[in-house]
Amino acid sequence: MTATAAVAPRRRINPRVALAATLVLAGLWFAGQGLWIHAKAALAQVLLERAFTASLASGQPVKPWPWMDSWPVARIAVPRLGRSSIALESVSGQALAFGPGHVSGTPAAGEPGTAVYAAHRDTQFAFLGQMRRGDEIRVTRRDGVVARFRVTGTRVVTWDASGIDAAAPGHHLVLSTCWPLDAVTPGPLRYLVEAERADEAAGE
Amino acid sequence: MSIAPNSPGARASAAGLTAYPALRLASLASAAAAAGIAVVAFFAASPGARATNPPPPVPSISPDTARSGSLLVKTSKGYIEAIRVDTDVDIAVSGPTARARVTQVFRNPTDGWIEGVYVYPLSDGSAVDSMKMVVGKRVIVADIAERKKAREVYEAARADGRKAALTEQERPNIFTNSVANIGPGESVVVQIEYQEPVRQADGRFSLKVPLVVAPRYNPAPVAQQVRFDDGGSGWGSDPVPDRARIEPPVTDPRTDPPDNPITLPVTLTVRLAAGFPLAEVASATHQVTVEQPAPDTRTVALAGPVPADRDFELTWTPTASKLPSVGLFRERVGKDDYLLAFVTPPAVDAAAAPKARDVTFVIDNSGSMGGPSMQQAKASLIYALDRLRPADRFNVIRFDDTMTRLFDDTVPADAEHLGQAKAFVLRLEASGGTEMLAPLKAALSDTRPHETSHLRQVVFLTDGAIGNEQQIFEAIARTRGRSRLFMVGIGSAPNGYLMRRAAELGRGTFTAISTGGQVQERMQALVQKLENPAVTDIEAQLSTADADLTPGSVPDLYRGEPLVLAAKLGKGGAAGTLAISGRIGDTPWSLSLPIDKAAAGRGLSKVWARRKIDDAEVARAMNRMTQDEADKAVLALALDHHLVTRLTSLVAVDKTPSRALDVPLTRADVPLELPAGWDFDKVFGPAGEPGPERRAPVERRAEHGDPDGIFDARRVARPTRPLPPRGAVVAAVASPSQGVVLPTTATDAELRLMAGLVLLGLGLAVLASGAGRRRRPA
Repeated sequence: MTATAAVAPRRRINPRVALAATLVLAGLWFAGQGLWIHAKAALAQVLLERAFTASLASGQPVKPWPWMDSWPVARIAVPRLGRSSIALESVSGQALAFGPGHVSGTPAAGEPGTAVYAAHRDTQFAFLGQMRRGDEIRVTRRDGVVARFRVTGTRVVTWDASGIDAAAPGHHLVLSTCWPLDAVTPGPLRYLVEAERADEAAGE
Repeated sequence: MSIAPNSPGARASAAGLTAYPALRLASLASAAAAAGIAVVAFFAASPGARATNPPPPVPSISPDTARSGSLLVKTSKGYIEAIRVDTDVDIAVSGPTARARVTQVFRNPTDGWIEGVYVYPLSDGSAVDSMKMVVGKRVIVADIAERKKAREVYEAARADGRKAALTEQERPNIFTNSVANIGPGESVVVQIEYQEPVRQADGRFSLKVPLVVAPRYNPAPVAQQVRFDDGGSGWGSDPVPDRARIEPPVTDPRTDPPDNPITLPVTLTVRLAAGFPLAEVASATHQVTVEQPAPDTRTVALAGPVPADRDFELTWTPTASKLPSVGLFRERVGKDDYLLAFVTPPAVDAAAAPKARDVTFVIDNSGSMGGPSMQQAKASLIYALDRLRPADRFNVIRFDDTMTRLFDDTVPADAEHLGQAKAFVLRLEASGGTEMLAPLKAALSDTRPHETSHLRQVVFLTDGAIGNEQQIFEAIARTRGRSRLFMVGIGSAPNGYLMRRAAELGRGTFTAISTGGQVQERMQALVQKLENPAVTDIEAQLSTADADLTPGSVPDLYRGEPLVLAAKLGKGGAAGTLAISGRIGDTPWSLSLPIDKAAAGRGLSKVWARRKIDDAEVARAMNRMTQDEADKAVLALALDHHLVTRLTSLVAVDKTPSRALDVPLTRADVPLELPAGWDFDKVFGPAGEPGPERRAPVERRAEHGDPDGIFDARRVARPTRPLPPRGAVVAAVASPSQGVVLPTTATDAELRLMAGLVLLGLGLAVLASGAGRRRRPA
């Protein structure tokens, strides 16, 4: 074996190493993206909580960060599970990456009709699967009103035939997320937790 | 479970859980080890793989499903089950004002309890001041209340099972009547009354009774369209915040002919007491019978019940060849005197060499203009083009949800340019949505703001079938500059509120063309207005000190138009004079009217209050009043004069409950007729598919692109409709039977994470095997 023969393979890039490096880098890239989605959801809630507190104090909408095109409208809390989440006034893909969204065309929670909030099944609304009939949902609105709801049941529907009437008589709340809860690809099914207003303000 | 995850078909059968393929976490995890390479191939194409998931269907808004309460659900019985509303309109015209009584009979043909919701139009100058609900033999008179409170009262009664009726204003020319707890087979009568001034222009008196709310194009709340508050707070809002309230269902005239049987039958009678001997009394829109009890009175009735699919118009002219040039009327209500004055300025002939004009024509070729409307619009525009003089300059802009400017800027009206323009206009076809804001701004943008040699005019031809009126008004108020805006309302049911207010803000006029036969006559009158000097700098003053005159700032007048003033007289009462001055072209003009010569009028206080409310709204649009100030003014006037406004509603509640509380109540929206001459498919799309008016616009009309390099077919950045799920949310508002549309709430975080880990594992495996092999030969 000559010296050149020994050096040459070292200067050439080993295709096996190149493949391995590509795979590792791609793997890190995808895994990073996956983690980033969760990190974003968690981090955003901290900022949203702060914006919402400021919003409660001032009575004005407060953007969580300057380039966000939505703002917090409500805090949705489930005391039994110790979970709480700040909802945004939008269900655009961007807003949903950060928190639950208030579905447009539906009233605010506590107003007559059916208020609908939606969030990702693997982040903010991952806990919907643990909710039971009779659970309390407490919604604090931006105007300071706290509306208490009692879970009346759950349903699975398709996204375009939810059967939810935004103008239904009474005061209702629906939390929506994708179904099945442990699926990894988006699908047409939605899981609904339905609740009815349970405090004196319900009036009926 | 066997896994072959990279074939969608195999995936569906392998998952086998639902009709919709959904990869389960657990199965995927086990698959990762077994079928590593296949999984890698699948994930490496992750975006593509996600796309294989079938896109959810766009929900349809055909009339079968649109806003269908359970009464309209597609059953074998179809629309037979729909709630019916019979309407009777009775109008008494006395001199300058009309008092109308609209009786709506809500009939419930089903065997359930329902709430009827009917969206209906009224003339945009109408002051609604009375509502009565008749249940059996009891008459319940409605009270005026702030809108929110009235709704609460109504909802409480609805929940208690008591009958209740609520009249709300959605737009100054769109109202909603809701009637709760109509029992099986029962009828409830709701009667509203309103006052409005008679219109007078070009030697004709006229009265318009809108009978149908045309489907509106409501621009979607996409980023490009967001409207920012003037306060600079940086918070944008939806251009049509109440879109759900003005999008009732519409029936397809092909499957449900409006007259067989008439689903919304209308009978109408006008008792006309003009106050002067009448020559011609006619309706261009409907067949009528006319009786003549006296020379100055007529009784006009529709030949029979008609479907509510077009607006009714009645015109009358006096016998004398000359119109009365002045009308003065007075009424005492409570402690106050009210005055209504009509003054037609004399026609001063145009100077020998009339001022050259710089005219931008804007023509709407959206889907709602399909059919006769488009022909009328084209004919009108061609007529106006023919009347241009060589010294004039012009341009043509066409729009639907896209727009095209024929020329970069206005060009001389020579034969060559006019030829191009006519060819361009004749080629137009009606389709697509109605995005009016961009073409309006383009037409108002003035490249020579300081030029005095030309009068800058914008002639805007449209049916105004839009819901974002407020956005349009604000744009006009902000950008009008020296331009004058002349609105031409086309078709059987144009949006009068939009047209009149836009023309007022744009210091121009509103011309309505409802039939093809009117094109010639009305366009001729409009061209006269365009060519002749306007009456400007008008000032009106009452000699009594504390009189309250409206409009506060008098708009310019054009040839043939009267000045209409309403006033609440102060302590001076009937004494004193009304002094008016102004300039016709360059000639000064003045007039003094003794108030004590005024004839008795009726309902003048309501007309005055309604105009004061309009004044406040205009001041708001012009930024002369803040929203709060305007609201306060409107609310005070509305409560004082018992008027329905955007802030106040009339509500009537029966004392005795009629529905037992354990019986359910269903909401039923009354489906409206499509305005006559409209093409259902052009508005809503072929059955089962949302039409171009509501759907994401597709790229089209390449034929308007320039075949020979002459036309500047420039496209504005098109405000595209959002695709589902956001677009679906908009659509969902219109179809509660299907329910609220829910957004996608799944992330691909897991997918990416797992793909990442698998790739990482593989990479390390390759590396390890490589290292092992290299060590062996050593």
